[in-house]
Amino acid sequence: MSNLDNINLPSISKELGRLHPINQIKDYLLKLLTNIGFEEVHGPEIETEEFNFDMLNIKKSHPARQMHDTFYAEGKKNVLRTHTSPVQIRGMLESKPPIAFISAGKVYRKDDDATHLPMFHQVEGIYVDENVTFANLKDLIHQILHELFGDNVQIRFRPSYFPFTEPSAEVDILSENGKWLEILGCGIVNPVVLENCNIDPNKFSGLAFGLGVERIAMLKYGVNDIREFYKSNLDFLAQFK
Amino acid sequence: MKINYQDLINFLLEKPSKEDLSHKLFQLGHEHEISCDIFDMELTPNRGDCLSLIGLARDLAVFFGKSNSIDLFDDDIEPLEINFENLSPKDCPKISFLEIEIEESNVEYKPYLENYFNTIGGNKANLFTDISNYISYELGQPTHCFDREVIKNKLIFENRECNVIFKTLLGSEVSLKDSNCVFSLNNEIISLAGVMGGASTACSFNTKKVLVECAYFNPESIIGKSIQYNLISDAAHKFERGVDIESQEMVLRRFAKVVQDHAKIKSIRFKSFTEAHNQDFNIPIDVSKINKILGTSLKNDEYLRHLKGLGFHISNEIKVPSYRHDIETNNDLAEEIARVIGYNNIKSTPINLQKLANNHGNKVAKLESLLVNNGFSEVINFPFTPIKEKESINIDNPLDSNRNNLRISLKDSLIENLLYNERRQKDSIKLFEISDIYTKDKVIKQQKKLGLIISGRQGRNYNDFPKKLDQKYLNKLLNENYSEGIFEINEISRSSLNTKKKDKIFYVETSLEDIPMSFFTKLSAQQKSIDFINYKPISEYPSSSRDFSFVIEDLQVVHEIIDMLDNISDDIIKDSFLFDYYKDDKRKIIKLGYRFIFQSHLMTLSDSEINKKVNEILSPIVEFDGVSIPGM
Repeated sequence: MSNLDNINLPSISKELGRLHPINQIKDYLLKLLTNIGFEEVHGPEIETEEFNFDMLNIKKSHPARQMHDTFYAEGKKNVLRTHTSPVQIRGMLESKPPIAFISAGKVYRKDDDATHLPMFHQVEGIYVDENVTFANLKDLIHQILHELFGDNVQIRFRPSYFPFTEPSAEVDILSENGKWLEILGCGIVNPVVLENCNIDPNKFSGLAFGLGVERIAMLKYGVNDIREFYKSNLDFLAQFK
Repeated sequence: MKINYQDLINFLLEKPSKEDLSHKLFQLGHEHEISCDIFDMELTPNRGDCLSLIGLARDLAVFFGKSNSIDLFDDDIEPLEINFENLSPKDCPKISFLEIEIEESNVEYKPYLENYFNTIGGNKANLFTDISNYISYELGQPTHCFDREVIKNKLIFENRECNVIFKTLLGSEVSLKDSNCVFSLNNEIISLAGVMGGASTACSFNTKKVLVECAYFNPESIIGKSIQYNLISDAAHKFERGVDIESQEMVLRRFAKVVQDHAKIKSIRFKSFTEAHNQDFNIPIDVSKINKILGTSLKNDEYLRHLKGLGFHISNEIKVPSYRHDIETNNDLAEEIARVIGYNNIKSTPINLQKLANNHGNKVAKLESLLVNNGFSEVINFPFTPIKEKESINIDNPLDSNRNNLRISLKDSLIENLLYNERRQKDSIKLFEISDIYTKDKVIKQQKKLGLIISGRQGRNYNDFPKKLDQKYLNKLLNENYSEGIFEINEISRSSLNTKKKDKIFYVETSLEDIPMSFFTKLSAQQKSIDFINYKPISEYPSSSRDFSFVIEDLQVVHEIIDMLDNISDDIIKDSFLFDYYKDDKRKIIKLGYRFIFQSHLMTLSDSEINKKVNEILSPIVEFDGVSIPGM
């Protein structure tokens, strides 16, 4: 008969917590982009209209500036940033090309339904140097999407419209069920934006792109309802090792 | 915007198949869905010029050529004598009027008009309004039809302060506020310009004499009005994106032609009021700039051929068509060329950015590693709250009154997260959030804060299960190496919380700036790796747990029993773990405490269903000699 003291104690497994899946994806994208050569820059979530809209060539008549799309704060003096692009504007004002910045974080839109949340996350990048072209942009987007979805993923560029880029494109990937899924927006930085940031558009050009973190998270993990990310349910969070 | 395929190809020289048409529309950036012959277009906001058959055809002409199939009223038209004054030319630099009288308004519609209402146009109203809607579909220019017999006195266009109820031609009443561009008659507002006409001057089925107004409204003068008054109209959609200021006479001649197709015209008169002439917009020809933007090697003749195909007039310079409000620079022209070549046909050129040193090991990453390694899970909360403090930032246009301020602390969100999980039978909760918090004093202040909350058991392994999360636990985790604690640990009373749970709640909140650097130097940030798990939807049904005590007299089988218990899996067993391990030296036995948590994705489980499952999973274990479950 065994002696009690000879019996090994059962192992105690360390119970780990989890980082939030949205932050996991955000950190993953940041790492992917810093490995390419982008530098992370930070900025405030409460912005002025000037940095959130004017500097980015979003004119007063643009629908995004209406009260139904944007949260205004403190007597219309400020907005909750609707994208992370103002962070890049602040970055450009403080540096001289060549620059390669990424900004990541929370953004806000006045929306709340099954597929839209009033707060979500973006990762945006900008690269300004001499002779940056649309052909360079295509190469960069291919690098990013191959890293994210594998070398064999089929990629499609479509003309689109953003006030701060021209030409502008939206990029789709072909999903397993044969449908094109929109993944990101990108384009050649509108020379007006460079000028606003005291960068000579005759000498320099730039490319820019932006990804929705929730969208990437939903695709990569197979989460169908965006609202699940913000219920703080431990059963949900525990799955994201 | 819906477009009938058959109507669209009438405007094209070649007649592409639906597939070819769809392919080229995508290449040009015009997203759409197709159902039978109907293309439901989703156009980008800069392409207001494409919101019509002729508009899309102008773009598609670069691939398929343009047919000249618009029938216009070619007879001479007498000048119209109209008592009209434009008091705000900057809001409406050009406006034209067509007056037509017909013999009979009760007419049968020609197939093209009838077909428009059958496939796209919806409900008919009256001949003139129906033609107006059709013309807008065909040419992209909204027109408004006034009953001429009602417009007796001076018609005025003005931008004026309003505080009045306006009855629309659809019968709804809206309360006009602030300044609005309006048409007025006898000081009464009869039309909200660029949005919707009024009831008092609207045409009816019997109207035989109409005054058709055709205008260019400055988009900035009318933007947002349609949403402000909840008057969604095709006209507002088009005016907000900009119509073609040069097309008014052509549009009204087309209007007259469609009227002529349906009724005998007794009289027809026209008058145009131009307050500001449209300036031609020209861009110098420079293909090298286009190649520099796109990274292509396009030749000059190719460049100009593509632009001509899109309707640009080429002389010494490139003349931008009056309907293309979106073209101002070489970057805009580069996009035109890229659309014609096809974005996907532009070859990639590698870029090589200078690699930077990775900035790992920052404060946030170190805190995250410490907390995750100790069983804390991260949450992210929305910042909106109904609670207004002196330093709270107020949202001017909140989603609702429960979300009209920004939180000044992470505490309430984390308490809510804790209670939410307690209601889902969680008995060991450790959560944290790291977020920026905004407050106002004289200026807006930003602080990155860490909040963490704990309650319940320390863990579920047999060492931690009996211990409760408490102040001592947090002190050990955060303050152990500091004689004076740097993290202030507070107990949160349950008395004001909607809960029957008794476990104590402890909370820490601090600004990252207030944590001394010496705290971080002792920590390291783990290299993050990501595992793209295949998410399994979680159950919303309640879970139920059952605890079992196993008495093992045959010590040789202890680890075999633990292995068996660890490997039990079933659709309705959500979780199981060893929460107690006890050596009874006197009796020379080992006792194991095991907890099973049951939960179904399909229903709330009944006791009998759970008991049945329990018997199933435990029977192979109690068959061992020297193993028993007291009470079973």
